[in-house]
Amino acid sequence: MSSERYVERQLLVVSRRLRVFLCTFVALVLPAPLAGCGDSDDGRIRLTVGTFGEFGYDQLYREYEAANPGIRIVERVTRAEDHHKNLAAHLATNTGAADVEAVEEGWLGQFTAAPNRFIDLNTYGAATLKSGWPDWKWNFGTSADGRVIGLGTDVGGMAMCYRRDLFTRAGLPVDRTEVAKLWPSWEKYIETGARFKQQVPDVGWMDGPTSMFRSVLGQQEVGLYDGPDSIVVGTNPSVKKAWDLSAQALERGLSARLVAFSSDWNAGLAQGSFATLACPSWMMTLIQEQARNAAGQWDVATVPGGGGNWGGSWLTVPKQTEHPAEAAALAVWLTAPQQQAAVFRASGNFPSTVSLYKDPVIKDFRNPFFNNAPVGRFFATSVTRLEPQYIGPRTGEIATRIINGLSRVEQGRDTPDESWRKVLREVEVLS
Amino acid sequence: MARRRRSRYHRLDVKASPYLYVLPFFLLFGVFGAFPLIYTAWVSFFDWDFLAETHQWIGLDNYWRLFSDYTFWNAVLNTAQILVLSMVPQLLLALLLAYALNQRLRSPRFWQMSALLPNITSVVAVTIIFGQLFGRDYGMINWFLGLFELGKIDWQAGQASSQIAIATMIVWRWTGYTALIYLAAMQAVPKDLYAAASLDGATSFQQFRMITVPAIRPTIVFTVIISTIAGMQVLAEPLLFGGGSISGGSDRQFQTLSLYLYEVGFNRWEFGYASAASWLMFALIVIAASINYLFLGRIRRH
Amino acid sequence: MAVVSPPRRTATPARRPSRRRGFLRHQPSRLTYLSLLALVFFSAFPFYYSIVVASHDNSVVAQMPPPLFPGGNLFDNIERAFGTGLMTRALVNSFLVSGTITISVVFFSTLAGFAFAKLRFRGRNVLLLIIIGTMMVPTQIAIIPLYLLMAKFQLVGTLPAVIVPSMVSGFGVFFMTQYLRTAVPTTLIEAARADGCTTAGVLWYVVRPAARPAAAVLATLTFMNSWNDFFWPLVALNPDDPTVQVALSSLSSGYAGDFSLAFAGAFIATIPLLLVFFFLGRRIITGIMQGTPNR
Repeated sequence: MSSERYVERQLLVVSRRLRVFLCTFVALVLPAPLAGCGDSDDGRIRLTVGTFGEFGYDQLYREYEAANPGIRIVERVTRAEDHHKNLAAHLATNTGAADVEAVEEGWLGQFTAAPNRFIDLNTYGAATLKSGWPDWKWNFGTSADGRVIGLGTDVGGMAMCYRRDLFTRAGLPVDRTEVAKLWPSWEKYIETGARFKQQVPDVGWMDGPTSMFRSVLGQQEVGLYDGPDSIVVGTNPSVKKAWDLSAQALERGLSARLVAFSSDWNAGLAQGSFATLACPSWMMTLIQEQARNAAGQWDVATVPGGGGNWGGSWLTVPKQTEHPAEAAALAVWLTAPQQQAAVFRASGNFPSTVSLYKDPVIKDFRNPFFNNAPVGRFFATSVTRLEPQYIGPRTGEIATRIINGLSRVEQGRDTPDESWRKVLREVEVLS
Repeated sequence: MARRRRSRYHRLDVKASPYLYVLPFFLLFGVFGAFPLIYTAWVSFFDWDFLAETHQWIGLDNYWRLFSDYTFWNAVLNTAQILVLSMVPQLLLALLLAYALNQRLRSPRFWQMSALLPNITSVVAVTIIFGQLFGRDYGMINWFLGLFELGKIDWQAGQASSQIAIATMIVWRWTGYTALIYLAAMQAVPKDLYAAASLDGATSFQQFRMITVPAIRPTIVFTVIISTIAGMQVLAEPLLFGGGSISGGSDRQFQTLSLYLYEVGFNRWEFGYASAASWLMFALIVIAASINYLFLGRIRRH
Repeated sequence: MAVVSPPRRTATPARRPSRRRGFLRHQPSRLTYLSLLALVFFSAFPFYYSIVVASHDNSVVAQMPPPLFPGGNLFDNIERAFGTGLMTRALVNSFLVSGTITISVVFFSTLAGFAFAKLRFRGRNVLLLIIIGTMMVPTQIAIIPLYLLMAKFQLVGTLPAVIVPSMVSGFGVFFMTQYLRTAVPTTLIEAARADGCTTAGVLWYVVRPAARPAAAVLATLTFMNSWNDFFWPLVALNPDDPTVQVALSSLSSGYAGDFSLAFAGAFIATIPLLLVFFFLGRRIITGIMQGTPNR
């Protein structure tokens, strides 16, 4: 065979194969995008809302669009870490941010420190709404020079969720007032856990280090910071107290050893591999999402130590938006009491607007998924008593490092003391 | 007249065309390859917080800080360990595989394709799948160990176990590819060498050891250097094996250099510090590759 | 004349295995076939297992013993993975990115490869050496300044940010140079020139057709590489407008993630590559085997 002929044949083969390949691929893949990405901007203003986790807004968007025919809303949901990482990048590069961006408590400090990047919501009449929120929630969203950057959405509050079926197996009471009596304090919570593990050794008492540590920490007067730029992890006895209690629970083998919010953790929720989970209101949303098959098995009682807070978010409007007025109006509407109440009833995130706490819509609400627990009353009580901590710019990162330290204890890599020394060293690098 | 003009055009064509043809490469590489490389050095002399509006010149401070930063050296050590754990089995297995593939097989293409199959998947998909296989509670491997009552291993928690798991992913993905490179080299070994050995009564495995391996040594050196460079840059495996955690385990027990770079640069946004780390990383790669080269070169001469 | 270094025609001996013992390649023992069967098992098992997990409900996945056989939820899970719209977007993005990069790399590599292989010019060897040198430089260390550069151009979060830096490849130039050296005989080029062809004419009428087989190999390798690229897209793109690999990484870790969803994603992301593999796998193998320094 002459070489030209050979080339020719190869060519034929290749081009035929390429063609077959392309056709197959097109046939397999293209119908999906064509169905999926029709960008019908029929003259309406398109507002993007960047959120993470579960905000429970879907229904509200449709409602808002119906009331404002000129607006179309698109939500972009990302994992919390990624969401805040990207928001930072978008603000720094002045491009790519959504019109309305949600910010979680742990990251908020980082953004209120850069107020130039956001719209001052006062210019859109936010000042008149101030009385709707407790002072602390309002102040967190305000920069040092008085610009209002974020409007409060939900607030964590704190309760304790527990599995009734597992409590029965361990011979523990299941009635929520009785259950609350099992753990007036975290020490008692650990004791009860040890009792539980004796009866039901194959199930964890708690999920892992994160939720317990954050809950205990959230009940302290002073947390990781005691003022702007002043990290007090090494000197604040409250942080050490939260550490010691969590480490003790881990050392006694109470944990199911799941990393919070990981796929394993989700699977653990679905499988019922732990009996209690410290529950800020938004945690209820996650439980309902991941443990769909366990409706009625979960219940809610008061949290050991009472009160406290973990998490909660704000809505911001980055300065780079093309529709500041419309975006601000949407943020105001989404954070208004009525909408916050709707979110709470549908998915669980508890409102940060105080006026609602006495409203029967909230006060008397019982969540059927959680065995009709009076979650409205629980969280209203918890949040009213809430004494907020100062939240610094690196709160989220520091907490991650402390929780890594607790994981080392849980995995038996380090003793609590060794691990704590490493935590201090890691936090040092951050400050 | 016309002829002279044509010939002048011709001369220009011959002289300029080659440069014209290689120009796009150097242009694009210059802007997006070479320039960033040099710019990295520049940035590394600053306290360059990406989110801040001004950046402060601090000279070599980032480098001094790096030298005493245990997390950086921890990442260096982890990277080196994972490199060894993955490269040695990979190259040995690849040699044996190439030896098997180099025999008169029925339908050789089928076996070659099987060898290549792992390599075509994305590293992300591989890590997701292996992450499940290495799961602590519901993982296939722990289930298998359980059948023999060997107990469960918390793969992520231990330093050795996590690095073995990561190295396994790399070995799985690259062994077949390396084997094909060896196979090509083996097929180029002159046949008369074997003929002589065969007459001397050498068994096939002896021939493999005494003739094939020495003959393809340059190829082995090549693969060692290539996998060293690749191994210094491992990112997706530790990142996704740790469930997206940038610290590479609770004790940074499997945080590689790239992951460290990612943490400093794109989580802490300390671009200056991360750039200094990049340059040190580059230096380490060059050193590692040269050590390999010299070491294997020595063996060749002996 | 040897226009192509033709891949060994292995199909023939495969069908008619020779009885004669060869000096070069030994008749395989049973052990050889057994170990090759093990190879097939280990190569294919993770793929099989990804289908198993992708075809079950998440609660089944978190069970001991783990499921060993496919269940009935594959299409549900795939639908769920597409349901967020993320996977769809990611597939389209990946296709655009990899497609553009592939075309560009093949084009520029053929241009430069032709110049290096067949044209004489001052500095040729030095430039070629530089190109080979670029292959040795790890791309990751330039990520920070690249990011700053893209931020300056306002490209962060857009597809060009991922495409532009990969539009040329040192490997591609090296590969085409190596190939064209033998594939295009110098006499043929001289003949074309004598007929009055300009350099561009030679490129179009002589080199382009001869380069096609190598171009196909380079295209396949480039496509697969850029399809699988992870670090830079992870940094440069937004998680809500990602490439497939980045989308996959967010599916696998995160609030809404579960195993069967992540595996369905992995399955979807692999299909295009499997297709490439089945249609062009032989060429890829040829390409890899030609890409060694021995040749």
